[in-house]
Amino acid sequence: MKKIVSLILCVLLIFGGLTGCDSKSKQGTTGSNPTKVPDAQQQSESEPTDAALAKPVELKIWHDADEAIMAVIQNRVNETLKDDKISVIFEKKTGLTDQLKLYGTDTANGPDMYFYAQDSIGMFAEMGILTPITDLISEDAMSDLLPMTLEAGTYKSVKYQLPVYFETLLFMYNKDLWKGEIPSTTEDLYDYMVTNTDIDAGTYAVLNQHSTAYNVAPFINGFGGYIINADVQPGLNLQATKEAVAYNQKFSKLQADGDYNTVGTLFNEGKASAIIGGPWLISGMKNTTIKLGFKSLADFKLPNGKSLVPYSGVQGFSVLKYTAESKKDAIAKVLITLAGTKVAIDIAKLSNCAPANNKAYDDADVAANEMIVAMKKTADTARPMPNIPQLSVMWVPMESFLAAVNKSGEDIDASADKYQQEALTAIADMQ
Amino acid sequence: MKRKHSYIPWIYSFPALLLIGIIIVFPILYTGFISLTNMNLFHWMNYKVIGLGNYVRALSKINSGFFAALMTTILWTAINMVLQIVLAFFIALGLNAPGLKLKRLYKTLLMFPWAMPAYVSILLWRVGIYNTEFGLLNKIAVMLGQPKVNFLSENIPAFLSCLVLNLWMALPFMIMMIDGALQSIDRSYYESAVMDGAGFMKKNIYITVPCIRPVIAPAVILTTFTTFKQFDIIYLLTMQKGSYTGATLQTVITYAHQNAFVSNNYGLSSAVSIVIFGIILLFSIFTNKSVKEEEANEKV
Amino acid sequence: MKKYRMKKTIGYIALNIVFILLCLAGLIPILYAISLAFSKSGSALSSGLFLLPKNPTLENFRKILFEEPFFVWLKNSVILSVGTMVIAMTVSVEAAYAFSRFRFRGRRSALKMLLLLNAFPQILSMFAIFRLYKIMHLLNLHLGLILIYAGSMCIFGIWNMKGYFDTIPIEIEEASKIDGAGNLKMLVKIILPLARPAIIVTSVMVIIFVWNEYLFATTFMLQENSYSLAGGLYQLQADDYGRNWSIFSAAAILVSVPVLIIFFCIQKYMVSGLTAGGVKG
Repeated sequence: MKKIVSLILCVLLIFGGLTGCDSKSKQGTTGSNPTKVPDAQQQSESEPTDAALAKPVELKIWHDADEAIMAVIQNRVNETLKDDKISVIFEKKTGLTDQLKLYGTDTANGPDMYFYAQDSIGMFAEMGILTPITDLISEDAMSDLLPMTLEAGTYKSVKYQLPVYFETLLFMYNKDLWKGEIPSTTEDLYDYMVTNTDIDAGTYAVLNQHSTAYNVAPFINGFGGYIINADVQPGLNLQATKEAVAYNQKFSKLQADGDYNTVGTLFNEGKASAIIGGPWLISGMKNTTIKLGFKSLADFKLPNGKSLVPYSGVQGFSVLKYTAESKKDAIAKVLITLAGTKVAIDIAKLSNCAPANNKAYDDADVAANEMIVAMKKTADTARPMPNIPQLSVMWVPMESFLAAVNKSGEDIDASADKYQQEALTAIADMQ
Repeated sequence: MKRKHSYIPWIYSFPALLLIGIIIVFPILYTGFISLTNMNLFHWMNYKVIGLGNYVRALSKINSGFFAALMTTILWTAINMVLQIVLAFFIALGLNAPGLKLKRLYKTLLMFPWAMPAYVSILLWRVGIYNTEFGLLNKIAVMLGQPKVNFLSENIPAFLSCLVLNLWMALPFMIMMIDGALQSIDRSYYESAVMDGAGFMKKNIYITVPCIRPVIAPAVILTTFTTFKQFDIIYLLTMQKGSYTGATLQTVITYAHQNAFVSNNYGLSSAVSIVIFGIILLFSIFTNKSVKEEEANEKV
Repeated sequence: MKKYRMKKTIGYIALNIVFILLCLAGLIPILYAISLAFSKSGSALSSGLFLLPKNPTLENFRKILFEEPFFVWLKNSVILSVGTMVIAMTVSVEAAYAFSRFRFRGRRSALKMLLLLNAFPQILSMFAIFRLYKIMHLLNLHLGLILIYAGSMCIFGIWNMKGYFDTIPIEIEEASKIDGAGNLKMLVKIILPLARPAIIVTSVMVIIFVWNEYLFATTFMLQENSYSLAGGLYQLQADDYGRNWSIFSAAAILVSVPVLIIFFCIQKYMVSGLTAGGVKG
């Protein structure tokens, strides 16, 4: 008898303890924390709001970009649409693409739109979680946008991205350190590097992330090769790609280890006269006194007479499918604002971004911004990064190939064949 | 001992088992289910069960590259565990030496590596210790007039670099476990041993080690699994996107990651996960056997 | 006797030197982080002297403490780790006790099963848990995260404490049984104090695991205000391109300090009831 009583007591205690903790922690979450509040808000939001536009609409936008740039966009959009009672709120999500794979179909918790480079468009379009931009706004509303930026966000002839700004690699140099004119051929550049690099002392003429695919792409594209083409064919072992990798290897021997942190710090500390990099490097230079000069990569001629052709990354907004139904009008208004000149001029002036809106370049201040002008110049010849889903599996083989050649001294032909095979397998694995 | 009422222990462990069922068992079953479907980018929401096709493909990935990765993983696990246990044992012994006044301070400081989120430590090591230009090791090398070394560009140095980092990150836990276990030893054993004239070595071999063995065995076994599964260190040090160092070091998990997970083919990668799980199970049954044999030997 | 004492003193000094060196060696990467945290430039590293930042500044700490919702994150971390610890310890102490004290059919195989289950890489469970939580409406709730953490640490808890419980002589329990104590009372009154080091070690392990976990924390929590410290730091500074190393290091140090304080404080209690209380006597 005693045993049975104690047994029952045990069970009660265990569950008492358990549920006690549960409710306590529940209280902890809801009582002292605002998690629940936005939750409820979302639910009311996801009901159709078409009928009553007087009701305020808040659109949630996920991004994985510089928060300062997002703040500029957010301020401008919210100010413009104040009277329509439409506002946008940006939330930073590290690992945005992975998050969207989970939340891209989750009406309750997922975002309304997201902001990202165009290279994930194909993937999300294939998954069926995106709404074509043209379902929401007309082609006319996008007539001011640079064709290259629109093309970047077009997958299988459908536009999925509203471009806002674009990035390309630039030749940036320290005006105090660079001696003489900037060469206009890569061969002259190489000669300059030979004379002005002292690896043992840790001083370099030109730095590049020489084993990062994006940073070697200007050579590969310039030689006529490709990482992957529109027909989903990887091009690692094309003769042209191999020549480009070999050519890049020659440069890499005079450059520090191509890690982003390394090259950035060397340049910022004045240990390097020039760096091939994107506008994202600028924020790290805020605390330095470097007088920066810019030159478009399109202004460098390769030995074959062609220019360097960097990739362009186009940053823009895409709309999730589930949200487009319920908030069509609000989203359309936001997209039209985003495509407008005001946002474009703001981000150019305040954040040094090269806007997708062509009219912004008529602004005097924008036209005077050396970096933006250099990027705009590159934009005419730059190749938009492919947006096919298969690109996502190309980085591993491509960068393994580059690292094998540049860092481990492997034979180019053998590595090219090996990693081409890996790329083919990776692409086949997607199906 | 207590044999009656065989349902009582189950009632005691029911809450734990329920929790484990939800958080651990259910995902395994779910992964098993996904592995039978064609869920991938092109069939994201309209996937269907396709049978064992993914397993055929997963098994075709078990090639020479996979075996190399498996060997590396076993070597990695073995070296790590031996070093961890030996080093942690002596450090913990030292910490328990009578009269060490500052031991609380030492213990706390030794725990510091453990107190940092893993990805922070790994990134700090990558730029602060191993970096070719700014890493501490290369700064010392330059000071001594040696050429700069790229620690992560070739497999053997990269392996050793990862090993050192893993030891740094994992030792605090092991020290703490052994330190805790040392507390369970009855002091009177030592007193009588000293009376019998036993020295340091003898005390350790005949008292300390046998006494703490059963206590730390679970921790050691669990750490072995953790080490086997270790992904962050090798991935973040040598193969993060944009920071490939040139080493082609692969463990089972990084191999699977590169060969199945970047593809966004959930069906295939689930099948690969289940296959790897199977391999880990085989591995652990194998180690389990050897543990048992050891136990049997002891009893004889 | 004198010689013996001298030998002892030398040994004591040697031991201290060894530990000072060991701590220093172990702390080098941390010292690097500290020097970064006090330095002005936001870049990875100056090529200057290693451990002495030029113009030390507290600016980075100010930024992380006051410009980011640091204290909200801290509170969340406390909620998560304490919640997890309470749940994980409650369930696993009982299970460990059952597995240690009772001999029943399926005991060995259940224990082995648990160990094997632990071999499944947790990261692979993410997708399945997401699906489950979506149905159960546990996404975006701290409770959901606490359950994940508690479930993941449960097996460790059971195994770890069972090993220690096994070393507690059964005679102690039998003695109290004669006194009429029930099973649960015995567990609370006798086993728990005796197994104090194991309980503390396991609890600390659970807390540190939760404290430093960032992947689940950022995947299952969606508002900035509901992140934990590690999760918030990860969201803020995970990306190579946007990372300000000085702020990153300052934040990392601030994240680690509470753990160290806890660690320093609990050591007093790390002595076993067995040896301290002399129950066995």
